[in-house]
Amino acid sequence: MSSANPTKGAKLQSSGPTRMQAFGSAFVSGGYTMYPVLLALVVLGAIVAPRFATSTNLINILEQVSVLGLTTIGLTFVVLIGRLDLSLEGVVGFAPMFAAVCLVPAAAGGFGIELPSWLGLFIALGVAGLIGVFNGFMVVRVGLNPFISTLGLLVLLRGGVLIVSNGRSIYSPGPALTYLGSAKLFGLPVSVLVFGLVALIVGLVFKYHRYGRALYAIGGNEDAARAAGINVDRVIWSAFVFAALLAGLAGVLMTGRLDSAVTTQGQGIIFSAFAAAVIGGVSLGGGRGTMVGLVSGVLLIGVINNLLTLAQVPSFYVQASTGAVIIIAAVLTTIASRRSSGVKTRT
Amino acid sequence: MENKRPIVEMRNISKTFGSTRALKGVDFTVMHGEVHALLGRNGAGKSTLVSTMSGLVASDTGTIRIADTEVVANGQPYAAKIRDDIAHVQQTPQLFNLLTVAENLFLENPSVQKRFGLVSHNRMRTQARALLEKWNMDIRAEALAGELGAGTRQLLEIMKALSRGVPVIILDEPTAALSNAEKHLLFEQVKALKALGISFIYISHHLDEVFEVADTVTILRDGLVVKEREAVGNLNVELIADLMMGEKTARSVRSDHTRYDAPALLRAIGVGIYPVAELGVDFQVQPGEIVALAGPVGGGKEALAMMLAGQLTPYKGKITGADGSLPTIGLVPTDRHASGYVGMLGVRENVAIGGLDLLSGRLGFINREKEASHVGHLATQTNVIASSLEQAVSQLSGGNQQKVVFARALCHNPQVVVALSPTRGVDVGAKEQLYALLRDLASKGLGVVVVSDEEDEIAQLANRVVIVFEGKLVAELRGDYTMKDLILRMEGVI
Repeated sequence: MSSANPTKGAKLQSSGPTRMQAFGSAFVSGGYTMYPVLLALVVLGAIVAPRFATSTNLINILEQVSVLGLTTIGLTFVVLIGRLDLSLEGVVGFAPMFAAVCLVPAAAGGFGIELPSWLGLFIALGVAGLIGVFNGFMVVRVGLNPFISTLGLLVLLRGGVLIVSNGRSIYSPGPALTYLGSAKLFGLPVSVLVFGLVALIVGLVFKYHRYGRALYAIGGNEDAARAAGINVDRVIWSAFVFAALLAGLAGVLMTGRLDSAVTTQGQGIIFSAFAAAVIGGVSLGGGRGTMVGLVSGVLLIGVINNLLTLAQVPSFYVQASTGAVIIIAAVLTTIASRRSSGVKTRT
Repeated sequence: MENKRPIVEMRNISKTFGSTRALKGVDFTVMHGEVHALLGRNGAGKSTLVSTMSGLVASDTGTIRIADTEVVANGQPYAAKIRDDIAHVQQTPQLFNLLTVAENLFLENPSVQKRFGLVSHNRMRTQARALLEKWNMDIRAEALAGELGAGTRQLLEIMKALSRGVPVIILDEPTAALSNAEKHLLFEQVKALKALGISFIYISHHLDEVFEVADTVTILRDGLVVKEREAVGNLNVELIADLMMGEKTARSVRSDHTRYDAPALLRAIGVGIYPVAELGVDFQVQPGEIVALAGPVGGGKEALAMMLAGQLTPYKGKITGADGSLPTIGLVPTDRHASGYVGMLGVRENVAIGGLDLLSGRLGFINREKEASHVGHLATQTNVIASSLEQAVSQLSGGNQQKVVFARALCHNPQVVVALSPTRGVDVGAKEQLYALLRDLASKGLGVVVVSDEEDEIAQLANRVVIVFEGKLVAELRGDYTMKDLILRMEGVI
């Protein structure tokens, strides 16, 4: 096994793509498609609404999207392997609620066990992790279609929130639960720092870690991944656990920002998460998507919501316009990726 | 009588798939009420020829006339024009698993259709029961096709074709999954229909069947007819084998690097290939040895290879290495599109997933320099030609895709390589490169297991050939076996 020039492996084909095409392809596959759109929106926003381009407002946007961002990152774990997890929305509500009722006294709506406050974060993440293990079990061992198993669990968790809380929100559940979502560090909300840090670490894992490679390989061709010796079942299972953990963390941030565990917490977030992922170029068919793109999707949704609010568009119209924007962005992303790679993707 | 006129007349049929010319201007005729056997080795063009006849594959050139329908072929689909004249039973049953036996049998049969496109389920069931009765089959008409055994499914497929009332029926390897009793049932039906003037085109790897049912034989070799319409009485096994083999055209020769004195790299001890196997099989691979597993489709050669590669758990017995621990094994799976490569990923990523743990550091992050040099090295070794290592594998030619799959299998520095159909759908040049690669690996002391249907391939590679049939190892060829030995064993004659 010796070779004169080991780094120069592939021989050059006569008709390679031009430099322009190569750039376009790298631009799209790297997940940068939506950044020009985002930039245009920010410029537009600065012109239209004077209050938009203030640092307070921009930080506010970041703070608002951090919950959605963490949920979307979690969702992307399972979408990359060609699965989906609707129950993440339930986790966002249930995990912090369960932790809260373990902490607060019975008079405030708790179980009455009044566990020490510092346990709050661990309980929330522990519950989320267990939910992920359950999802993985249902998909890998029982062999259920994740759409139906996680849909069932979503509805179950919605009910579960009402059961454990008796239908009432829990106020001031304790500093361990609320710190991440409410404190500030270096002038920035901790929630923004948490989102940034998680995005950075998971982004590196997706791109450079063997676990990330396994996710893409399984999403691209599960049988090939198996034949290559990847423990496919274990990766699928763990992806569901990571997804739920991140949704649990997102729920904790939300509880912190509101200083209470609300019974309706997280409702509808899974749709925004899917939208952000698709806008960011994550293929629902699996195997395609980057952290850079995902973040652009999350930011785009945040900026649009903020702009519509600042422009004093009536709230009914905000929701409808967000939906329209999602469809337009998804069309753009799909066309861009088809143009650049010649491969038809289902988004 | 119009019986003097052939029922099927095909002139100048040719078909090209990518860079391979499967048929090179073939003429083929079938008379009324004749069983016409089409013989030839794997890849000779038999299945392609019958597929152009039924329109499953559109011929590029020539004319096809079946009964009174005539088609001038130009590569465009024409199956719809001739579907009322011909039925084609393919090698693997094409049944709807979630429909019942009755529905499968009469799905497109006009006799159960009513007005407005409605279907009479009553009529369907009654007719299905009558048909099952006639064939002496003990299954319910309401059973789902997916629940049936392989032999029954094959018979159903044949029954469906025979009951359509068409004058020409193609049977492509109809007996591969049938038991002896089922075979004789089939032959009786074929003979009965023949007496009614129905014509059959019969493809089989079992020459004894050909001598039993066929009247006429045509032999193909490399996409050309080498013997046209010979009466079966004028032929014998030797003659047929010579005609199928032709001139010896081996482009490269096998070499033997087997280290017989060294301990075996990989052993199968009492391994059950089928769930019901009473006796397990024993098998071993020496360092430097290239062993071929051959035998009919469904005979268990692929299952054994997947068990050796650790992808399937043996029904009994065990797979073990020299000192009790398993060696590292690189797998080249049988269908590269289904399970070989990840099309949307680049060459580098595809190769690297074969050895992620070797290429990553303590925290599991990929060492990019190590990856680039290792993958680059493997790409050179396997001769991958791509615009860059980042090019998506789906954009490469078949031969290069297969080389990527080989590079991935080698990424983990395996001691044993298990390659299933290593050169399927690969052009001649790439084929030779892959053969040279496998021989080179063997010379370095790796054990190589090849599963193949191609005699040429086996003869050019294997130091030892093991024929797997019905879950058993039924024959073995070693060392200086001749091409003729090989063909006769693979065709199931001996």
